[in-house]
Amino acid sequence: MKKRGSFFYHITVFVVSQLAWLALLGIWIYWYVSNYIIFKNVGEKLSPGIIYNGTKVFPFVGGIVLLVSIAFGMSLIFRHLNVQLRLNKLYDNFIANITHELKSPLSSIQLYLETLNSRPVPAEKQKEFINMMMKDAGRLKNLINSILEISALEQKKIVHDYQIYPVDRLLQDLIQGVIEQFNLPQNSIKIEGRVDCECMVDKNAIKIVLNNLTDNAIKYSIKPIRICIKLKTLFSKVVIDFSDNGIGIPSSELKNIFSKFYRIYGANIPNVKGTGLGLYSVKEIIRSHGGKITALSEGIDMGSTFRIELPVYNEFIRKFKKSFPVNIKKKELIEKTENNI
Amino acid sequence: MNGENKILLVEDEETLAVGLEFNLTEEGYSVVWAKDGKVALVLFYAQEFDLIILDIMLPYVNGFEVAKKVREKSPQMPILILSARSGVEDRVKGLELGADDYLAKPFHLQELLLRIKGMLKRKMWYKNAASIQPAYSFGNNKINFENLECFTKDSQIRLTQQEAMVLKYLIDNEGKIVSRKELIENVWHMNPDIETRTVDNFIVRLRKYFEPDPSNPVYFKSIRGTGYMFNAK
Repeated sequence: MKKRGSFFYHITVFVVSQLAWLALLGIWIYWYVSNYIIFKNVGEKLSPGIIYNGTKVFPFVGGIVLLVSIAFGMSLIFRHLNVQLRLNKLYDNFIANITHELKSPLSSIQLYLETLNSRPVPAEKQKEFINMMMKDAGRLKNLINSILEISALEQKKIVHDYQIYPVDRLLQDLIQGVIEQFNLPQNSIKIEGRVDCECMVDKNAIKIVLNNLTDNAIKYSIKPIRICIKLKTLFSKVVIDFSDNGIGIPSSELKNIFSKFYRIYGANIPNVKGTGLGLYSVKEIIRSHGGKITALSEGIDMGSTFRIELPVYNEFIRKFKKSFPVNIKKKELIEKTENNI
Repeated sequence: MNGENKILLVEDEETLAVGLEFNLTEEGYSVVWAKDGKVALVLFYAQEFDLIILDIMLPYVNGFEVAKKVREKSPQMPILILSARSGVEDRVKGLELGADDYLAKPFHLQELLLRIKGMLKRKMWYKNAASIQPAYSFGNNKINFENLECFTKDSQIRLTQQEAMVLKYLIDNEGKIVSRKELIENVWHMNPDIETRTVDNFIVRLRKYFEPDPSNPVYFKSIRGTGYMFNAK
């Protein structure tokens, strides 16, 4: 028999249970019809004067309804089981990835500490090793933070610090931060287009979004990184197209990449690092801002584009006026914004 | 001695690779670093190495695939898997594909260095032993200790280096009782208190390959409470 817990095992169980159900239905109909004939014959022989009152539809229909309900219940259970199996698989992937992501920097830190402890290391090398350890400690910190943030986002425990920002200036400011954080050449990220509008966002949350998208662009690119951010307004929305020159995303995976724990595996993937939480976190942040994110890609080696749509300030307030403390006069907000940027 | 040995380090984590390279170089080994499976195979086909340290989770070609391809070309190449994946399934898969040793991350530097030393020592012993007696026959079985190919009554198989070393040791001690402890010490070069069941697994495999009826062994006999004895007749 197939391995318990495998997809085919459950398919087999489902098919067998459906066959059993059909057999049960057949037996039930046979039993009912044969008994009906017997009762009718016996009734006619014993007391021909009694008028047999129809076919007693209720028990017959009731039995069929009961059996159909069982079949429906089984289908429902099977559907939920499949969802659970898929979740389990994603969870297993997550555990494998997180183990790798935790153990790798830990191994490196342990190696450097044991090296410094066990043999003479030139001062120059010592400095290099300390930098490596700091890099790994930073990686561990980021990993732990991202897991905690996801948990807080899901439980809606994160209270965003919403402020009103002119979109152009906000993005220029954040992109400069991204360039410095990832140590990228100044011309590796360019912004095209201008929009004359404002958005109400949590600057730190949008920074996380841009960091995640840039990190992905770096991880999934073979060539030197080139990112183009195009800005435009569409009706009452600001549209931010974040395009990279990476390996692209197969069209079949475009919807899946925002799922929790989901990662694409393949022979053309240049990087195995990651937890499958980055794009999920991006999606959750954008959603909490009343916006949406979609991914586009022409295919393998054609780069990827992430389209972020955020509500323009006025529309945003109208839509979410109950959710945010926006009873501040606009003038005060602009002053506050200028102080923030 | 170490200066003559060249190690291929296959590791995608740069911070770890830099530290390993430094320590191995300090120990006198010559180190070539490959940061993914594809580069590792290109280097392996182009250059001569004495040992490979191999991660599993690698871009493009994973460590299991690399080990398999290395084994196809070079059955005697010592492979040490160094991976964050420490589950039994991964260990078994790695060893089945021909890795000689498996060390889980995070690891102790001294342990890694000792294992590398042991593997190179075993390789040297085997090389010397195989050069003295490159081929051997018993029953319907013919073994070539240089390319590890074996012709049995019904099939042709290729031994892993570890299997070949166990077989070679038993053949060299034909007619004598060899204890599990002795095999662990002299073939694995490890502390015999750690694990002696490993020996039994290898004997089971050798019986499966060479015995006409593995459940009633003729060549690889168990000596109750002691160990094993090889008898070619």
